[in-house]
Amino acid sequence: MEAHKQSQVKAEAGSRNPIVGALPFFFGLALSLAMGWWVFPDSLFSKEPQPINFSHKVHIENVGMECSSCHYFREDGSFNGFPTTQECAECHMEAMDWSKDEVAFVRDYVELDREVDWKVYQYQPDNVFFTHAAHSMDNCGMCHDITEAELCSYGGCHPNMAETDKAPPVKTNRITGYSKDTMKMWQCEKCHTLPEHYEMTGSAKGQACFSCHK
Amino acid sequence: MASKKEFDIVWGMVIDLDKCTGCGACMVACQAENNVPVTKDATNKLRSLTWLLVYELSNGKPFPDHDVAYLPRPCQQCGNPACVPVCPATVTKKDEEGGIVSQVYPRCFGCRYCMASCPYHVRYFNWFDPVWPEGMEKTLSPDVSVRPRGVVEKCTFCHHRWMHAKDKARVEGRDPYALEQMEYQTACTEACPNGAIHFGDLKNPEHTVHELSKSKYAFRLLERLGMDPQIYYLSRREWVRRLGDNYLDDEKTGDFKVVGGHGHG
Amino acid sequence: MGIDRRDVIKFIVGGAVGSTLTPIPWKLTDDISIWTQNWPWIPTNIGGKNEYTPTVSKLCPSNSGMLLRTVSGRPVRPQGDPDSPLSGGKISSLAAAEAQMLYSPSRVRRPLRKTSDGTYKAVSWAEAEAILSEKLGNATGGVGVISGDENGSMNEVLSALAAGFGSDDCHFMPGSAQAEAVAYNQLMGGEGQPAYDFEKADYVLAIGADVLESWGPVVATRRAYADMRPHGEDPKSTWVYAGAFQTNTAAGADRFVAMRPGAQVALALGVANLLIKEGASATGLSGFASLAAQYTPEKVAEVAGVSPDALQEIAKGLASAQKPLVVVGAEGNEGGSTAAAIAGIACNMLLGSFKAVPYPRTVVQGAMGRGDMLAKDVASYVAGFKGGKAPEVLITYQANPVYALPGSIKTKEAFENVSFKVCFTTYLSETALASDLILPVPHSLEMVDDVATPYGYGKALYAVARPLVPTLVDAKHPGDFLLGLGAKLGKDLGFASYQKVLEAKARAMGANWADVSRGTVYVSDSQASTYGVRVDADAVAKAAAVVEVADLTLCPVMKLNFGTANCGIPPFNLNTIRGDELDSDYLYAHLNASTAKSKGVAQGDVVRISSAAGTVMAKVNIFEGVMDGVVAIPKNFGHTAFDEFTRGKGDNVSALFAVASEPGTQASVWTGQAVELKRA
Repeated sequence: MEAHKQSQVKAEAGSRNPIVGALPFFFGLALSLAMGWWVFPDSLFSKEPQPINFSHKVHIENVGMECSSCHYFREDGSFNGFPTTQECAECHMEAMDWSKDEVAFVRDYVELDREVDWKVYQYQPDNVFFTHAAHSMDNCGMCHDITEAELCSYGGCHPNMAETDKAPPVKTNRITGYSKDTMKMWQCEKCHTLPEHYEMTGSAKGQACFSCHK
Repeated sequence: MASKKEFDIVWGMVIDLDKCTGCGACMVACQAENNVPVTKDATNKLRSLTWLLVYELSNGKPFPDHDVAYLPRPCQQCGNPACVPVCPATVTKKDEEGGIVSQVYPRCFGCRYCMASCPYHVRYFNWFDPVWPEGMEKTLSPDVSVRPRGVVEKCTFCHHRWMHAKDKARVEGRDPYALEQMEYQTACTEACPNGAIHFGDLKNPEHTVHELSKSKYAFRLLERLGMDPQIYYLSRREWVRRLGDNYLDDEKTGDFKVVGGHGHG
Repeated sequence: MGIDRRDVIKFIVGGAVGSTLTPIPWKLTDDISIWTQNWPWIPTNIGGKNEYTPTVSKLCPSNSGMLLRTVSGRPVRPQGDPDSPLSGGKISSLAAAEAQMLYSPSRVRRPLRKTSDGTYKAVSWAEAEAILSEKLGNATGGVGVISGDENGSMNEVLSALAAGFGSDDCHFMPGSAQAEAVAYNQLMGGEGQPAYDFEKADYVLAIGADVLESWGPVVATRRAYADMRPHGEDPKSTWVYAGAFQTNTAAGADRFVAMRPGAQVALALGVANLLIKEGASATGLSGFASLAAQYTPEKVAEVAGVSPDALQEIAKGLASAQKPLVVVGAEGNEGGSTAAAIAGIACNMLLGSFKAVPYPRTVVQGAMGRGDMLAKDVASYVAGFKGGKAPEVLITYQANPVYALPGSIKTKEAFENVSFKVCFTTYLSETALASDLILPVPHSLEMVDDVATPYGYGKALYAVARPLVPTLVDAKHPGDFLLGLGAKLGKDLGFASYQKVLEAKARAMGANWADVSRGTVYVSDSQASTYGVRVDADAVAKAAAVVEVADLTLCPVMKLNFGTANCGIPPFNLNTIRGDELDSDYLYAHLNASTAKSKGVAQGDVVRISSAAGTVMAKVNIFEGVMDGVVAIPKNFGHTAFDEFTRGKGDNVSALFAVASEPGTQASVWTGQAVELKRA
């Protein structure tokens, strides 16, 4: 009895087309590839819009402002990041062109003297010390023939915001809480390990830990 | 020793032990500057964190011939650090211009080899999560990251202050590697009411530490281990200088040849 | 065709193989490792714009000048203020923790009223005001004040209010300034406050005064000390510390001279004698020379334990110095001899280095001058509570008498004779917990206040502490509160707000309010006349005649890093306390080996130290920097109030202080206390 059953199973399996037999394997393969390359990267990040929309385009193209009009170095060498509401209010004490976003900004922030909780696309964790002053046009522009906007998006540091009319949503990693655009160390190293940059990074191999960490 | 690196800038300290009275202002300033957490039972020095610790020194003589001195001990920022080669995770390195021994907290997994190897006991392990009394964490400095439980930390010569000083120089269009002495000072140096601590580039003749480190009264701790520390101490008192190392009774201070290390500047 | 077990396995294997070709495992591993580095309970950095605003410390008795660092308005920490003469860019160990003390767990958060069952109940400020005005309105039996702030104008508001109720019982907590005020203003006929100009001083003799740690505006004193002592060179000044314990001052001094606790008067007389012998003289010292002449080096050796050689050397050093200075102070900075203060002033007169600055002029109508308030004897005042001399309402302001007054007074019991006690305090101290009404005072970085010519500074000075951060708790400015209360009770003090008081004060000091309120420190060269100052040789003789060399004498030690009676031990300062100063439960009493041997105790032994006033428990630390027959015990431990960083650490040395009346001066004195030490 037992022997008979076993031989029957073997016979059935042997009679199957090997490609058909491997189909479940390829189903699994295809499914996980699809999951891994399309679904997972998308679902790993939450998407949040900025509290209010800010159009870089309007300010640069229409008003003729420069990046450094709002993103500037303080006297002590630190970088301000985002302008404060008070600084925005130097022009926007009252709405200027009455766009929906501008009216909301004046109503919810200027008049209430509140700071906007801007979300940072390239937020770096506390253990990173990033110096904007060292990556300035004065330094990088010595050798690289680039514009300010190009400099900021060079090497993937920032998305080129200068021409955006609608601020893209901020994607936050659900596990780490880091922004999707937060540069990883290997990205920084792409420039830091170039021998031409050794002298600028203050270390023999361009990779001194304390050049960037705190 | 073969791996000893040479730097154009060597940040160092000269601490005048004749002027230090052990008040502890340097320790408090250091804690506040570097977000060092507090402990309820700080008398347990094995569990509390003191990047800078003031030791009491005694000449060992009975009253009335007794003399007392105090010795502030930050990280010695050795030229040949013992902590660096033992680190399995490349957390701690001495590879940046300026010669400050770095410690990158998120890389550290807390094996504490570095603590065992450091002859100066400058390294501390976070046995507990950093906790401040409620609300006090709002006074934390944004310049220094807060270390979680399970990692080792130590004095960094307030490295962030150097970064800020360099940035200020850059923005003003000056050479960030040619700072005046007062542009970069550690929190303890700045706080010391007796002016016992001097800080600067040991290799820069314009910085006071350059000359002071060559004073006939200058010595370093455990010099013959060859660690080549970047901290110098000054004392006009022979007994204080003798405590800097293990001397034979018939030996005089400075009477030996340092193995491996050599003076700066 | 069905799906069998094999197909499922194939599917899973396919999926597994596929997933290794996707970012899933690699990205997840990376992300999880990052996740483990960023626990939500670890505080994160909050950046912003840095600002550094000048102010002056009211938390630290050194009144250190400081710059408060704020990041986008958030206080981070104080640093020294290079432009302040009280700082020179430096800071004290206590002031360095001032911003952190905003968030001290022991802060009083709202007004509290004691209920009949002894617990405290939160009340509103309106209720608190109603209670206090009712008590004050009915206070036919007098109003008393004890202030723990020697330099501020709050004392004027407090004393003027008390005067409105016909009382002049306004007192300061004990300190070095009091012995000297009684000596100089009451017994020597002097005007103003003795001033000590440490700047450029080339010979400083500190007799018991811990001038580099706890006496006077120490950060300023230390700047003067440091300036004369360039690194790696021979010092341009000589500092000598005479005391029974190698304090921080002894560590910085060129010479430590052993002197028995409480023997300041003998040593000062011995110094004066040798100076007079060398030809020094001054007017107003008639009778003094013959008294001093009795204090030969041999006599000083017998009474004070100071070696004759050391005394000769000191006198020679002082006589040959360009700018010598003698500073007399008590061990632990309190309870010192008034006669010693007189003798110290006499030494400076002989050396031509005595000077005085005017007391800050009062601006509030009816307020007591600082000199008058300093001359009041708080020890005998509180001791009198038990003898039926208790006020009906007692106001304590930033003072902790229940903890800090000498043990012999038994302050807590004495307080029970006061029918109503109101405590203005920032921190929940022992005194607060013995009071009927606790009124929170804003932290010194939250309110406007002032420092007028701190005791021990060489010049008249005015500095304003500014409110730099919003008040974190439900506290009211005590000045504004009391001015308002006074007006409601018909005792209008003439000022609508405390700031107006300070504006008037600034004018009275000769300072420009606009400048000082922005953090500039005003310094004036004005001096008080020393014409007609004379020494009451009889009083000094009587006081000096008391010579009791006890078998074991107590030497209390005060260090600023241990905190103060008012603020407890700041959490940041705990780390500065050494393992041979405090064990987790016991504090250490320091003895030298020969004293320990004679008492039969060894390192680490738990001992019971007792005096006529009380007992403390401690562990023995053998330290050879203590004089034979002396036990040194640090102050400011053994709190029963405050928070976990302060409470239950060691024992309170002031329990051992037994108050005596000094012959000749009748001032309360409790230095040179005889104690017994036994193994527990």
